[in-house]
Amino acid sequence: MKLGLVVDLDVCVGCHACAVSCKQWNTSGMSGALTDYNPYGEDPSGVWFNRVRSYEVGDYPQNKTINFPMSCMHCEQADCVDVCPTGASYKRVEDGIVLIDQDKCMGCNYCSWACPYGARELDRSTGTMKKCTLCLDRIYDERLEEVDRQPSCVITCPAHARHFGDFDDPDSNVSQLVRERGGYQLMPELGYSPTNRYLPPRVTRLIPTEDVSKKSLISSVKEWVNKMVER
Amino acid sequence: MSNKAIVYSEVQQSGWGYYGVLMAGMALVGLGLIAFFYLEHTGHYVTGMNNQIVWGLPHVFAIFLIVAASGILNIGSIGTVFNNKAYQPLGRLSGLLAISCLIGGLMVLVLDLGRPDRLIIAMTHYNFKSIFAWNIILYNGFLALVGLYVWAMMDHKIQYLYKPVGFAAFFWRLVLTAGTGSIFGFLVAREAYDSAIFAPLFILISFALGLALFILISYVLFTGAQRVLSKDLLKRKRYLLALFMGAVLFFEAIFHITALYAAEHSHFEQFILSGASGYSLWFWLGHIVLGSIVPLCLLLLPWWREQVSSLLGAAALVVMGSFIQLYVIIIGGQAYPLTLFPNATVESSFFDGVIHTYTPTVWELMLGVGGVGVTLVMIMIGVKVLRFLPVSLATAASGDIE
Repeated sequence: MKLGLVVDLDVCVGCHACAVSCKQWNTSGMSGALTDYNPYGEDPSGVWFNRVRSYEVGDYPQNKTINFPMSCMHCEQADCVDVCPTGASYKRVEDGIVLIDQDKCMGCNYCSWACPYGARELDRSTGTMKKCTLCLDRIYDERLEEVDRQPSCVITCPAHARHFGDFDDPDSNVSQLVRERGGYQLMPELGYSPTNRYLPPRVTRLIPTEDVSKKSLISSVKEWVNKMVER
Repeated sequence: MSNKAIVYSEVQQSGWGYYGVLMAGMALVGLGLIAFFYLEHTGHYVTGMNNQIVWGLPHVFAIFLIVAASGILNIGSIGTVFNNKAYQPLGRLSGLLAISCLIGGLMVLVLDLGRPDRLIIAMTHYNFKSIFAWNIILYNGFLALVGLYVWAMMDHKIQYLYKPVGFAAFFWRLVLTAGTGSIFGFLVAREAYDSAIFAPLFILISFALGLALFILISYVLFTGAQRVLSKDLLKRKRYLLALFMGAVLFFEAIFHITALYAAEHSHFEQFILSGASGYSLWFWLGHIVLGSIVPLCLLLLPWWREQVSSLLGAAALVVMGSFIQLYVIIIGGQAYPLTLFPNATVESSFFDGVIHTYTPTVWELMLGVGGVGVTLVMIMIGVKVLRFLPVSLATAASGDIE
């Protein structure tokens, strides 16, 4: 089994609901708390498993803002696992989820140097590294309805931009989406083979911003009269 | 061992000079401990480090001392491995300084961990794919080997171990510094690193930094203890220091030129070299001009090269320049943002696509100087209670310093 996420960049509106929902669920979950620093001050910050990046493609007026939610990619060749001196970072054989053993992590930060996606953060309160667990304590919880056994970010997304499933199963929803929409990995050239995939934005026609509809006879006459008067 | 004729003795001075330095060292240790307990109590968010700059000023101090430890042992190795008799009387002191620097550096590194109480896990659980884990083994092995090396120099009963352990310590220190450099060289994800040249570059930094520190510390110890230094030896060290500095500059130039040539690294190189950041000023003024070119002038130009003060001045500048060099490598490399979306303008509420800022706090500085304090205290106590210092290095051939 190879569990992971597919994010549809075509419909992600960058509302950050996934990030907030992730924080809410996981702060009381197996990796919690996700500490906030100076939460009511001028410069609040804190630990987040999921952050929404944005970037521009194209030049005006053909430009478009792409919202790009990023969390741990659960790489098949995860460098964060390779560099961890104590073996606190590990990849589960049974489902491919990359996790951190909170009892073995000594907070050396070397994994956050090694991760090319910026997915690992030191919780400066607990002194250990934190990252996306793919809501492990939710997806295997048999007390929940099957439809709810998905990561919190997937359930929350109002635009249905996020999908969760098994990439080893060719008939799973995520495999089908990747196949049909050309789902791609972020920075595959590094060779870490991230599990999470992104569906590229569809090519859209430019929406004209000026009124180009055909003018009526009356408005044409009015325009001609106004021009004559201005002379 | 050929230094049988050399007489060693403990430092006899007990005046304000000796105890003043010892107390200063203890005061620095105290500052380090205060900072450590404060960080433990409040959490690391009171430091200037953040999600982008994850290793800060304490790590610069730690790596500075670790690299220095490896380089300082060179003085002993020149005598043992290369059989240079003039250096052999300094072998014991070289070993003491190497152990002291390494323990000082490791103290800072460990106390700045998110969970320093889990050091035992680092000692008992090894991921052998991790260069960091290998470094833990290398540091422990270095302490054991150099301890045995010093013992073999001081105890006639195990004198037969002097040569083999000296050779082993020399090769171990080369591997150790290559390992320290590889902590950065193996970072594929960062534009600033991902280069095999970090291993030899760090070895050469250790040669220059270690020798410069040894010159300064041994001069202070010898003059403070009113013992005689060999002018001939100082002259040799002068040319050796110039040679090491030239080698550092050569490797540094190769590193930057290669990186400039590769398109994927060229933006970072422009960031460091072109004056677009404060790190450029540190690099050019601190490391290249004050830390390399001025000392080379002091060491080689005929107006200054014969003066002891020039050698000491050059050594002090090399120490400062090496610290700045490590600061630029460690902090400057992190300040440059990850390239997540090439050729796109990136925005976010958490500093994507922008140069990250880092302002060290006083707590980080206190923790860093705490490591220097540990080194200082160990050296001062070491020379007081054991026979590390030769009574005299005077040679008949040269007019020696009294």
